[in-house]
Amino acid sequence: MNALDFLRGLLGKRPYAFAGLLALLLLVVNTALQPAFLAFGNWAAVLASFAPLAVAAMASTPAILSGGGGIDISIGPLLTLIDIVIVANLLPNGLTSPFVVIPVCLAIGAAIGAVNGALVAVLRFQPVVATLCANIVIGGLATQVQGDTVPSGSTSWTKDLAGSFGPVPGALLTIGAPLLIWWALSRTPFVKALYAVGGDDATAFSAGVNVPKVRIAAYSLGGLYAGIAGIALMSLISEGAASMSAQYTLLAIAAVALGGTSLAGGRGSLLGSLLGAAGIYLINNLLNVVRVSTLWSTAIYGAMLLFAVVVGAVLTNARRRAVA
Amino acid sequence: MSEQSQVALEVTGLAKSFGATRALRSCSLRLLAGEVHALMGENGSGKSTLVKILTGVHAPDSGGYRVGGRAVRLGGPAAAIAAGVMAVYQEVLVVGPRSVLENVWLGADGVFRRKISEADKRERAAAVLGELLGEAPDLDTPVEQLSLSDRQACGIARALVREPRVLILDEATSALDVATRDRLFEAIARHKAAGMAVLFVSHRMDEVDAISDRVSVLRSGESVATLEAEDATTAELVRLMTGAEHLTDIPEGGAMAHRTGPAADAPVLLRVRGLRLRPDADPVDFELRAGEMVGLAGLEGHGQDAFIKALWHGPAGEGSVTRVEVGGESEIRSEQRAAAAGIGYVPRDRRGEALFGTLSIRENFSAATQDKDTRFGLLSRASALGRFAEYRSGLKVRMGRESDPITTLSGGNQQKVVIARWLARRPDVLLLNDPTRGVDIGAKRDIYALLDELTARGVAVVMLSTEVDEHIELMDRVLVFREGSHSTTLDRRSLTRQSLVAAFFGRTVTSSVAGSASPDGDS
Repeated sequence: MNALDFLRGLLGKRPYAFAGLLALLLLVVNTALQPAFLAFGNWAAVLASFAPLAVAAMASTPAILSGGGGIDISIGPLLTLIDIVIVANLLPNGLTSPFVVIPVCLAIGAAIGAVNGALVAVLRFQPVVATLCANIVIGGLATQVQGDTVPSGSTSWTKDLAGSFGPVPGALLTIGAPLLIWWALSRTPFVKALYAVGGDDATAFSAGVNVPKVRIAAYSLGGLYAGIAGIALMSLISEGAASMSAQYTLLAIAAVALGGTSLAGGRGSLLGSLLGAAGIYLINNLLNVVRVSTLWSTAIYGAMLLFAVVVGAVLTNARRRAVA
Repeated sequence: MSEQSQVALEVTGLAKSFGATRALRSCSLRLLAGEVHALMGENGSGKSTLVKILTGVHAPDSGGYRVGGRAVRLGGPAAAIAAGVMAVYQEVLVVGPRSVLENVWLGADGVFRRKISEADKRERAAAVLGELLGEAPDLDTPVEQLSLSDRQACGIARALVREPRVLILDEATSALDVATRDRLFEAIARHKAAGMAVLFVSHRMDEVDAISDRVSVLRSGESVATLEAEDATTAELVRLMTGAEHLTDIPEGGAMAHRTGPAADAPVLLRVRGLRLRPDADPVDFELRAGEMVGLAGLEGHGQDAFIKALWHGPAGEGSVTRVEVGGESEIRSEQRAAAAGIGYVPRDRRGEALFGTLSIRENFSAATQDKDTRFGLLSRASALGRFAEYRSGLKVRMGRESDPITTLSGGNQQKVVIARWLARRPDVLLLNDPTRGVDIGAKRDIYALLDELTARGVAVVMLSTEVDEHIELMDRVLVFREGSHSTTLDRRSLTRQSLVAAFFGRTVTSSVAGSASPDGDS
């Protein structure tokens, strides 16, 4: 068995390993070039600036896993809308308690996700079309709520989320929450049903699985995660960010693909998306460190994504051939 | 126990149409608790439609069914499963990347609510799979790593663990290896004793003989008879499936009685060597001669469709398809190669694969030969119309204007346009995949006459047909496929409804030398 076969075997079984290895490699390179990057005191800041993309990538994952061409390209505008609602509507009106802000944000996210899910699963719109419409509508709403002057604001707990609660980096909470929710859901039949529907919806349907309900729940969960991503973004930048939505939409989906999740559905993991996001974040960081123009970075993400998709396709083909 | 409580499934007057096709006209059936009830019928007799209605996939146009005396609410597979009906199909329905355990218990829980504990699931899955496979596989293995037979066993286990009142096996045994099938039959015997009713749809007479208590026969969407197993002889079943009245449709010797087959010295146009349609099937060898008309027959899904497609896009696996021309030989590996080598293909799914539903009759005709209509790089409408005119009359296409949408034509006339599209390329070999499906009798006659004329000119025709009468009337010889292998060749002299249908079911093999030679060549 040569090295390639070994790699194939490893990646075939754990599709997120590629993103994991890439993230690890980039972490080493980043630290070598910039020793302060991994200094203990810097962790909270690094994680906080990573959190919005990390959570946005996880937010994009359930829709893609649910199969049937599933994808949610309204995650980017949704998280910027949440960010803007906090700084423009909630904080100025004295609603600063995390016990108010967080439930409101999660509810908005989950509700919009559920609408997307219903468009896809009940009205049978193609997911790209349905969520593109949602993307435009939500993006427009975000711009409207933001208004002419970019609103800004923060409160103590959002500052802690961008910094740390005592010794604990605040971003560990925003990044950890989706993983925790996923873990809790995987103790119900839902996660298995999601993978089954994404893997083969005809089989799941004929076995009596409520396919539309599973898909609506998947989009809704993605929306809920977008709510968390919005909170993470708001904590980080403390201002409205309507202009950032397109960037998050694309990078989040790139992170999912890089993380080994099949865009055809049914294969992949939340952890993979997190690692994929780490890869993209670290590349971006590296490009900054070596002073490559930001104008280049998009092209480099694109090339990475292409590379990841090709690697993924080669591996899945190798597997199918082995089975057939 | 009263008579009524013993009835597990009562089907009354089910009917279902898809567009103009009446898939099920009137089907009534009664399954008793604790019996294995076989359901037989040839292609298109309505078996699959019946099963899909019983499992909630289709809603019937009229009629209904009761399980255990209670009318079943119509509302998808979940409702049918709740009523106690579970089916396993010929097509292996598993979710490849997920584990054996998840596949076996797929659909048993709610979306968020767990109904059965993990420990119970493991125990029962292991027990049922142990029963079916001798030894249960590792329950955490992804199902895609199992053999096809074991994957199907997971599908069967999915049904058995739910302990249905009515288990439907719709050709579900065809993917199983022999040992697993035998263990399934033993398992069925045990479940039967516990009161489960089994509706057993199978094309294998030996299996029907082995396990069924009664046999019902469907013909043209109607339930025609239910026999006790001991009365269900092969001859009687073939008689019921074919229906005596059909025999009168064909004039003595057929309208094509003059057909003599290809000349003895007719050149070989197409050669197939060692073509394996399925990994476990025997390889197929075949030669097609100029002026020959060869039928491909068999029960749905037995390899005839894969065979004709292999002639068009080349073998998917082992084997070779070679086009033999005067100038030399070329191997067929893609549709483009085939078309360039003078092969034409009329696909089965007219709407999906052959027609441009939004385009006109003329545009549909000229789609494959547009290069002939270009003048200085621009398309000439008149040129296309001129070319179409010669086929229009030859094929007797009944239509309005050439600019009308293709969808204004009847199915038969649409098919004529598709055939004309290929004829315009002047192929030497014409492949037709069930061209007369959904075509009225008049249009069928026109197509037959055209094929007869083409073969007289030396064109070789290979035609897959699901209609027994078509083979008998037209073909110089018929290749019968079974389980992915070419099982029998029937030549013109030995072709009867009985011999052909019996061959479908692997009985009364009437083999003879292919392509009887005629003294005077007419090509």
